[in-house]
Amino acid sequence: MGTTVLQSGSDVLTDVEGSEQGDLRTEEMLVNMGPQHPATHGVLRVVLRTDGEMVLESVPHIGYLHRCAEKIGENLQPFQYIPYTDRMDYLAGMNNNQAFSIAIEKLVGIEVPLRAQFIRVIFAELNRIASHLVAFGTYGLDMGAFTPFLYAFREREMILDLFESTCGARLTYSYITIGGVHDDLPDRFLEVLDEFLDYFEPKIDEYNQLLSFNHIFVKRTANVGVISADDAVRWALTGPVLRASGVNWDLRKSTPYEIYDRFDFDIPIGLPGGREGVPRSVVVGDSWNRHIVKVWEMRQSCRIIRQAMAQITDGPHIAAKVKNVKLPDDEVYVEIENPRGQLGFYVRGDGSSIPARVKVRGPSFCNISVLNHVGKGCLLADIPAIVGSIDIVMGECDR
Amino acid sequence: MTGRGRETMLHGKSLVVVGFVLAAWASSAIGQFPLAEEMSGQTVDAAHRADEQVLAPSPVPNATVESALFYLFGGALLVSAIGVCVCKSVVRMATWLFGALGAAAVLYFLMGATFLGAIQLIVYAGGTLILIIFGVMLTSKSPWVRFECRRIEFWAAGGVVGVLFCALITLLVGTDWPTPAVAPQPVTIAMFGEALLTTYLVPFEVASVLLLVVMIGAAYLARQERS
Amino acid sequence: MTRMSVPWRPGGKQVHRGPAALVAGIAKALYATFAPLVRAFPGPLLIGAIVAVIVGVWINYLVFEFVDDSLVASSTNLAGETGLLGGPLALGEVRAGLTTSGVPGSGILCYVLYPLQYGVVRDVVSMGGILGFISVIPLYTIWWERKVAGRIQSRTGPMRVGGWHGWSQSMADGIKLICKEDLCPASADRPLFKLAPYLAFVPAILAFFALPFGTYWVFRQVDVALVFILAMLGIEVIGVILAGWASNNKWSVYGAMREACQMVSYEIPMGMALLIPIMVVGSLSLTTVGDTQSEGWTSWIVFRSPFTFAAAVAYFVAALANCKRAPFDLPESESELVAGFHTEYSGFRWSLFFFGEYAAMFVVSGLCVILFLGAWYSPLPMSLADRWGLGDSVGARAIKGLLFAGPLWFVAKCVFLLYVQIWIRWTLPRIRIDQVLYACIQVLLPLMMVLLLGHTLYELFVPVHGFVWTVFNLVLSLIGAVFVLGMIFIATYGFWNRVGLVGSLGVETLPGS
Repeated sequence: MGTTVLQSGSDVLTDVEGSEQGDLRTEEMLVNMGPQHPATHGVLRVVLRTDGEMVLESVPHIGYLHRCAEKIGENLQPFQYIPYTDRMDYLAGMNNNQAFSIAIEKLVGIEVPLRAQFIRVIFAELNRIASHLVAFGTYGLDMGAFTPFLYAFREREMILDLFESTCGARLTYSYITIGGVHDDLPDRFLEVLDEFLDYFEPKIDEYNQLLSFNHIFVKRTANVGVISADDAVRWALTGPVLRASGVNWDLRKSTPYEIYDRFDFDIPIGLPGGREGVPRSVVVGDSWNRHIVKVWEMRQSCRIIRQAMAQITDGPHIAAKVKNVKLPDDEVYVEIENPRGQLGFYVRGDGSSIPARVKVRGPSFCNISVLNHVGKGCLLADIPAIVGSIDIVMGECDR
Repeated sequence: MTGRGRETMLHGKSLVVVGFVLAAWASSAIGQFPLAEEMSGQTVDAAHRADEQVLAPSPVPNATVESALFYLFGGALLVSAIGVCVCKSVVRMATWLFGALGAAAVLYFLMGATFLGAIQLIVYAGGTLILIIFGVMLTSKSPWVRFECRRIEFWAAGGVVGVLFCALITLLVGTDWPTPAVAPQPVTIAMFGEALLTTYLVPFEVASVLLLVVMIGAAYLARQERS
Repeated sequence: MTRMSVPWRPGGKQVHRGPAALVAGIAKALYATFAPLVRAFPGPLLIGAIVAVIVGVWINYLVFEFVDDSLVASSTNLAGETGLLGGPLALGEVRAGLTTSGVPGSGILCYVLYPLQYGVVRDVVSMGGILGFISVIPLYTIWWERKVAGRIQSRTGPMRVGGWHGWSQSMADGIKLICKEDLCPASADRPLFKLAPYLAFVPAILAFFALPFGTYWVFRQVDVALVFILAMLGIEVIGVILAGWASNNKWSVYGAMREACQMVSYEIPMGMALLIPIMVVGSLSLTTVGDTQSEGWTSWIVFRSPFTFAAAVAYFVAALANCKRAPFDLPESESELVAGFHTEYSGFRWSLFFFGEYAAMFVVSGLCVILFLGAWYSPLPMSLADRWGLGDSVGARAIKGLLFAGPLWFVAKCVFLLYVQIWIRWTLPRIRIDQVLYACIQVLLPLMMVLLLGHTLYELFVPVHGFVWTVFNLVLSLIGAVFVLGMIFIATYGFWNRVGLVGSLGVETLPGS
């Protein structure tokens, strides 16, 4: 029918039947949301079975951005593979670089200089802020508020300026690399960063005023797509989605990697309504909490960056010999806290310099799996609210 | 995808708009859609002279043009009504019905019953018709709902309609229609309202109560269905 | 057999034929002529254009009036036997009338003025004016919306086309839209698909036929103007619904269903809100309603009672929903329904929907202005003009038109309300469909019933110009004044203390600025 021709081959697509409600017969409709749809953040395809505005079933279909990212990792040396990790979660390239670098360092046994670890933390947290800003802005867009998006991007531009001054790239950095970081910080970097943080931190309140605590926004997101703590754990959700359900779990705190144990920061978790200024209609694990946890995390990231700036030491920024290392006949699995959740790299070496197996555990991939579970019985307009609050990046979902 | 969509632009599209507007203007200019005073060659931009000068009663409207318009819109009404009957797609039927209702409204305007015409548009065209289309959209099984009637239904309905039609024609021809000596004064909205609240107060109230009952009944049915 | 055409395989060079070639040629010639001029003197040209429009309208007005004067003069002098205004004058009579009035150049002028005595000619002239106005309003509202949106979002909006702040961006877009391919989906219901945009656009024009811009500035003075305009706004919906249905696209159907739900529900509180000023004045004629508010700020109906004040706000909310403007823009909400009912439309047909939407925005703003916000009168009372001794001379009328009453005031107020609509759109998120209906049926509708009843009782039991009435009137007027002055203050303050754009966007000079 029209542009929304459904393809056969999937079991949900074949059973269309009217539902009898009283004596009024309404028609169930199969609607294809995506892969080209403004609210699906890339090329996610959700097949909705709807009755009027009511969604009876929402099945995510993925794979439209599959680029064999894991297979490529099994054909390249690790340092050659770093640029490919950028392109997985393209909104958090630094964090992806970091996860893969840590995995290889652990496998090979490379000691990372202390200065490099500080720089890594600063850039990982900056990238977390940039990524959350995109999530914040596009979530506003999903809810029909256009302006927060531009504000978020204005601030993100500044972070990208900082990145550009350091590594020359604005999106796919390949900056954090095996054994440290690619280049040392440029002159005056920390001063500019300090200026940025002074500018940025008050802005968070402004955003909350404009969007997060806006009455209509709260109405749209509170008590929508509620994921209980049990469900969140059962579906292996991670990151802000998990924490919004009230589970206090963050790898930076629970199993600190790099030097995260040196910093003092809090883990924001979802709160029930009525406490600490949270609107009354909010429940733990709803879309509003998934949104606000990200906003609160930006503030904690600023805290971490400030501490890292105070403690940073001089020294080399990269370990001596990192290229053409032979990978031992061993395996390693490393998970770090990506903006979207736990990003894991499994790498197995076979004595050559090319990994025998690379496997990625992507947070977007795991998080989107819960969509049908929470997307049953909601309204059509809630689907963007849920998808947006889960905050997926299809590049990493499909890999 | 065939090449059907690739067409030259503009194919007289502006002309369609202008046509619509001209039709509306013609009916407003010739009929008694404007106030009677407005007809005497006074337009609005200079109408303020109206309060200062004593104006003569309006000249007789151009009878030829008026009857031409009457036949035009009467014909449109007829064509639309036939369209409603012969169309098989429900939404197209509704569109034809819109044409019929609109043409009837224009006829009301031509007769000087501006209030009735406007109400016809607001209630039937703007309200009821939307509800019809809405109902079709909500309950239809496929996008192109079609009405197929059986042969016996066709003939039965045709028979009833034929009898009624004959009766109407007989009445039309048989009645001696009186021709009023003077054109009837257009009913102003004030007169209309006064009549509703004095002469026709009881029917008016009865109708209101009936509508209230209908509303409550509908709400009751809707609630019952939900539980 | 139809030729296969695919977008990625270019066919022959597309040749503009017929009217399209004409339009494209005219556009090119206009651009070639005026673009250098506009680039050289952007500011003076814009101001000059505005002044020219005002002066042109005034000349038109004066000419009409003059024709009437000479008609009356001639009919009393020459056509004395009828003694009436009616009956067309011969060319000679017009010339004679002009000569008696001592007008220079009567030999040529009579040819110009002669046709203007006919209603048909005047109708055509006025209709040209209305059509021109309706074409310009969307163009400039869209341009302005983009500028306002840009400023709200700390960017600049269109800056290039035309030179000064991209003032001709919308016209360029319009030319582009006209020249775009006119697509109709293969499985659409073709006749309905093609009909729908007209049904959405034409009623908006027809609504202007009954919308007064001033006491005498209305195309047709209808005694049921309000009902007529509401009917036209209602019919517009049919176009939208048909568009959604005929596109044969599920998103379009969703948009159409939402539009139907929303319109049918919000028409009721909107109509009820409009009943309150009607009750105050006792007439459905918009001209009459407008003319009761001539005595300055406090005489505006919005300040008459607490109920009218609340009704004005409620009307504006309902009007937003009626025009499907944010936060009620569900029928075309792009994050849910791609583009809603106009997903499948392109080019000229698509733009017709937008012309209709922006024209409807102007119409509902106009209704709000006429029924609540003092119509075409300024905050100064008209009696002041009499006290100043302003007579009927051209100069006195010009002063009156600028200071006390006139279409300029009406348009200015409408533009202010348009601005508020734009401002809301770029600030608020979108409401969900169940909340839209809840807000209408559970909140707005009971509220309107209370207001209607309350205002009836207020009119019955609170004596007009009594103590209570006056206190309420003054307090409400004060609130309104504080609101407006506060907005003006904030705008001025913001303008003088404006900072440059922040971050990497903060370049000193922008293209075209």
